[in-house]
Amino acid sequence: MTDALDDGLLQLSPAVGYTALVLVSLSTVLIGIYGLRISRTTGDFYVASRTVRPWWNASAIGGEYLSAASFLGIAGLILVSGVDALWFPIGYTAGYLMLLLFVAAPLRRSGAYTIPDFAQARLDSLLVRRVTSLLVVVVGWLYIVPQLHGAALTVRITTGLPAWAGPLAVVVVVCLSVVTGGMRSITFVQAFQYWLKLTALAVPVAFILFRLGTDGGAVTAGGSAFTADLDTAADASLYGTISLVIALLFGTLGLPHVLVRFYTNPDGASARRTTLIVLGLLSVFYLFPTVYGILGRIHTPELAAAGAADATVLLLPGRIFDGATGDLLSALVTAGAFAAFLSTTSGLVVSLAGVVSQEFFHGSVRGFRSAALLSAVVPLGVALMTDSLALAGSVGSVFAFTASTICPLLLLGIWWRGLTDAGAIAGMLTGAVLCGGAITATALLGPGAGERWVWLGQPALWTVPAAFLTMVLVSRATAGRRPASASRVLARLHTPEPR
Amino acid sequence: MEEQSDVPRRVRVTAPRTAARATGASFPVAREMAEQSEVGQLFVESLIRSQLRLALVVAGGFLVILIGIPVLLTVFPDIDGVTVLTVPVPWLLLGLGVYPLVIGCAVLYVRSAARNERRFQDLVDDD
Repeated sequence: MTDALDDGLLQLSPAVGYTALVLVSLSTVLIGIYGLRISRTTGDFYVASRTVRPWWNASAIGGEYLSAASFLGIAGLILVSGVDALWFPIGYTAGYLMLLLFVAAPLRRSGAYTIPDFAQARLDSLLVRRVTSLLVVVVGWLYIVPQLHGAALTVRITTGLPAWAGPLAVVVVVCLSVVTGGMRSITFVQAFQYWLKLTALAVPVAFILFRLGTDGGAVTAGGSAFTADLDTAADASLYGTISLVIALLFGTLGLPHVLVRFYTNPDGASARRTTLIVLGLLSVFYLFPTVYGILGRIHTPELAAAGAADATVLLLPGRIFDGATGDLLSALVTAGAFAAFLSTTSGLVVSLAGVVSQEFFHGSVRGFRSAALLSAVVPLGVALMTDSLALAGSVGSVFAFTASTICPLLLLGIWWRGLTDAGAIAGMLTGAVLCGGAITATALLGPGAGERWVWLGQPALWTVPAAFLTMVLVSRATAGRRPASASRVLARLHTPEPR
Repeated sequence: MEEQSDVPRRVRVTAPRTAARATGASFPVAREMAEQSEVGQLFVESLIRSQLRLALVVAGGFLVILIGIPVLLTVFPDIDGVTVLTVPVPWLLLGLGVYPLVIGCAVLYVRSAARNERRFQDLVDDD
């Protein structure tokens, strides 16, 4: 990828890129500052005082969730591996179904601000809180890094600036908007960014399909866009597919920035309604990256060979249209991509800052600001020191990790009276060691290892059950440590609010 | 002390601290049910059981269908050759077909979960 980019083969005109980036950054900061005027209390900072309407909230969840992996990564993966790539958007969407079924309403009723708060309230143990905080921070950092890699790719292609400029720009804008406005203003920013992202994909695709339709250009090239001959990656095995689906489905449950969003609903029932709207918004959104991917298989197939498949969405409009129309449409997709990095990163930074500041800064507003800086700067360092992998793939391993650690804690904590602090810690550590080990081993073994040893490359199918099993068995063995408050907490999680 | 001043004292609102108890905010129905009456506790337990059963049934049904797709495609690879308007069936199933299924499951669940809660609240109100 580096060579093709350095040769300037894959570049757009810089003016287009700069305009798009500046417009998105400005609007983000402006909405953030506008939000500042109505965010006054500590509650506003952390969870928007829990008074955000379902439609706003659902748009904000969508805006925050649709990351670099969704906006750029899916089309890139379709280019490389064809029909197997469609499992990613399915998993990302159906993850919210699992969230709705098992977590949404009870978690909202728990009254906690963050996952560690929930863990402590449920299990009455400081140690569980610490372990959970640690895992949440690790997950958050791991998830921010691919966003910054996506920003590096986008900024290089659209402006020709060096690779560090993109991540740095994202971190600066995120810190400015988070530090000034907190969660309340972020809710507005995120909601705006969902619709921006949808527009940024939908309008160019409409133009492209219209042009191809009227000119008789190739849309699917008589179906040859779908043939596996175009795939440059090996076909996924049945095990690999199922393991990936399990990771995506159950990983969504444990993502810190997803969970914190549910506290901004007024009550349990509205948390469910919000999730239902989110499912609709995601289903509509994911049609578009799929179309880009299919078009890319015909019109930009050389990107796969150049290792820059993730750039498909950015470059496709310029391939179909020349001149001003091409520039405008390219600017629009660039803006959408930048919105994707900004919104996911700021969502993650807000939720990490919430955890870090309560752990180390006593949960004050000033502490929240320091924690936000800390949460953004560490992944920036990691992103600048590491090379980008395929976006959708690296995000997939973060999902496997949360599915093996935080997901069992939440599911058993919400639904099973018998969970103990010892069981929770043993289960989370087992999941973390097994899944973290598998991911590290795959990375150390080098490219292609994930395909050769698919059980190592896609570990969720065995690490998630292992974590659950450990949690249940150790809890059974330490039944004496069940917190006395378990029944009361469970009653509170599941009984509807008084009408 | 409260009678002496009409103005309520300022209360500092902070997030739950590390060392502070995070539970125990007032949730009259839930607390009364769980702590004070044995019948109430039975109601709560049966509500949790029915919500869990509902969630497991919906999740199980969805997973069987979803994982059934790759299993079918592996067992009958010929499906790949079947096309609708030049689009092969696997692409259609995975690119379009799964999403209505997800939303259908979600609507079914939200309705049934709300019904379970209404039934519980009616029981509590009668009690």
